[in-house]
Amino acid sequence: MNAYLFIIPLALILGGIFVGFFLHAAKSGQFDDLDDPPRRMLKDD
Amino acid sequence: MESAAERFCCHGCETAYAIIHGAGLDKYYAERELPAPRPGGPVVGWSAIPTIRCPDGAEEVRLQVDGLRCASCVWVLEHVLERTPGVERAMVSYATGRASIRWDPRRIDLSALATRIAALGYRPRALGVETAPDHALLYRLGVAAFAAFWLMATYEAQYAELWFKVPERWAALFRWLSLALATPVALWSAEPFYRGAIAGLKQKVLHMDLPISLGIIITYLHGVVATLRGTEGYLDSLGMLVVLLLGGRMLEGRGRRRAVDAAMSLAATAPHTARRATGDQLETVPAESLAIGDLIDVGAGEELAADGLVTEGAGQVRMALLTGEAEPVAVAVGDRVVAGTVLVDGALTVQVEAVGRESVIGRMAAELEQAADRGMRESVSDRIAPWFTLGTLVVALLTLAGWWWLRGVETAVANTVAVLVVACPCALALSQPLAAAAGLGAAARRGLLFRNADALLQVADVDVIALDKTGTVTAGQLAVVNADDATLRIAAGLERYSAHPIARAILEEASARNIPLPRGEDVREEAGVGMEGRVDGRQWTLRAGGPNEVLLASEYGERFVVRLGDVVREDAAATVAALEKDGVELALLTGDHADVARRIAALTGLRTVESRIDPQGKAAWVRRVRDSGKRVLFAGDGLNDGPALASADVGIAMGTGAASSVLVADGVIAEPALRPLLGARRAARACNRAIRFNHAWSIGYNVLAISAAALGFVGPLVCAVLMPLSSGFVIWGSSRVERMVRREELAA
Repeated sequence: MNAYLFIIPLALILGGIFVGFFLHAAKSGQFDDLDDPPRRMLKDD
Repeated sequence: MESAAERFCCHGCETAYAIIHGAGLDKYYAERELPAPRPGGPVVGWSAIPTIRCPDGAEEVRLQVDGLRCASCVWVLEHVLERTPGVERAMVSYATGRASIRWDPRRIDLSALATRIAALGYRPRALGVETAPDHALLYRLGVAAFAAFWLMATYEAQYAELWFKVPERWAALFRWLSLALATPVALWSAEPFYRGAIAGLKQKVLHMDLPISLGIIITYLHGVVATLRGTEGYLDSLGMLVVLLLGGRMLEGRGRRRAVDAAMSLAATAPHTARRATGDQLETVPAESLAIGDLIDVGAGEELAADGLVTEGAGQVRMALLTGEAEPVAVAVGDRVVAGTVLVDGALTVQVEAVGRESVIGRMAAELEQAADRGMRESVSDRIAPWFTLGTLVVALLTLAGWWWLRGVETAVANTVAVLVVACPCALALSQPLAAAAGLGAAARRGLLFRNADALLQVADVDVIALDKTGTVTAGQLAVVNADDATLRIAAGLERYSAHPIARAILEEASARNIPLPRGEDVREEAGVGMEGRVDGRQWTLRAGGPNEVLLASEYGERFVVRLGDVVREDAAATVAALEKDGVELALLTGDHADVARRIAALTGLRTVESRIDPQGKAAWVRRVRDSGKRVLFAGDGLNDGPALASADVGIAMGTGAASSVLVADGVIAEPALRPLLGARRAARACNRAIRFNHAWSIGYNVLAISAAALGFVGPLVCAVLMPLSSGFVIWGSSRVERMVRREELAA
């Protein structure tokens, strides 16, 4: 059972890092425009 | 373009090609799906448009660009701008038609950029203040979702107790971990609900946010006590609840922002310009910089930039913006003309008497803007909320008293908490916003954008639809009604060198019929008279015949007629028939003559016709029908339709119409068609049905769940299963809206 003492904090920290990524993405406008990027991708330069 | 199979139809297209070719973007011609629009001339007046100044000295602006027809247009515009010296970044959105440009003001200015956009054939317009996307809700949702999934895991560990013995210190660890995870959700993520509840209480309204807040607070406090005492709480349900509610709120906000943005794009304006005469010189200046007493020259096809007195010349002015009548009115020296009207024919010199906000149109627009704030009616959910809260509190008190008397404090408190937790109206609160978002989306996909869901829902109950004629039932612009191909070909060969509205009508018809344009020689335009020149080796003249008629005559005495007029929208008759079959009465309201109105009515199948009525008369007609107990939808486009739009139960503006009619309306038809009215009615009906389903389900669920909780059957585990399930049903119910509309469309 002692493995939990290692695994739970590790999972929390990893999860926390992902929340950090999400907040950063939201802040930098990743979710502001969900319609154009998929179209833009089809057009090569 | 390498094949050179295409010829340039005008000088503008040649310039556009030169720009595109010069920027190394020839690929555009190979990939475009539609022919490009015809380029316009230079634009001025952009120096007055506000821009954003960045700390590093660069300037930024967001523009609405019209005429972007396909992905290739977006591509070419973006790249031409990006390769313009001085531009640091250019992004064009296909979905919204907005360009965001960042440039170095020392190397280029906005006027030059706008001219470059116009030279490609697109029309830039200035946007007003934009709503910034709200990130706060997204942050709260992100944190709540993280916590909610963790809570599921930690609670699962606690529910393991059901099957085998969990050592106490591990159980304690999971309990405390759960509390730690639920704390930011209850204190921070759920804050918008507390705020809404407090705001509602201040205004003495029992808002839906109140029972939600109560539920969340009680669940959390119970969770704290349970953790301290070593029993399990309802914190996993709390996490799920907040995630679902925040998600619903975000969808709602997104839909609303989209509608506001769309209305704003339609209301965006290009700066108006005027040709001011100073001494012997003519200079093009922004309309705002005109002063009273200035003399301005106005040519055929131009829009008047200011109110004033005609001091020289004569011509025909189209007053549609003011009166709604398509027929132009003759003006001569001594007559007064009004800004925003169009000189169809002739040439005028006008002494300026009023500009901008002081002009007739400016004052009307200001009045409409004041009337535009119509206020939201309360939703069904908000009407249920107070009764719901009251009912829950009564049941909770009964539960507390009853169980206390039967089993003592311990059980009484446990069951009361269960009642209050289970009663948290998650499904009920999601019922309306989710269905409304689906309904608004379904209507928008069919071309009608609504400002709010209320207006959409009313469309389902409308008994009478009143339509304005010019610009609503008809296209609202001059088009060729009758002419044979040969006549049209020669007329187009002359008119290709003119910017007159008649020329535009003839060229559009020629291109619609795929008639190759001959090249005219020695073509001259005589302002206010017509065109003359050689086509196919013969000398031709093109002159105004009667009203709405153009005469084409050759040097050998041949004479042909091109008949022009305002044409009925292609889908008008079909839409009228379908709406009538749906049980709606339709009426045509117009300021035009009775015989014109009758002709249009006959073409479209409209039965009720009211002709020769002024703007106030239209509003009075709408009010009269409403007083007789019927619900009225009015659709119109002009500034003159403002009063009627504001008096109707639902006012729908045409996106092609005056910006101020867009502001006063509940919804906007975003395409040049009437069909969206039918689509919106179907979407409204489906949306109503979905809301009824959602309400029935969520109220049924709450009654059952609260009764079960009051009788002591609901514990944390049952609650954790029931709550998401109830919301899941509501989500499913809302997702059916689009499918219901499609089914009805297929059946029709």
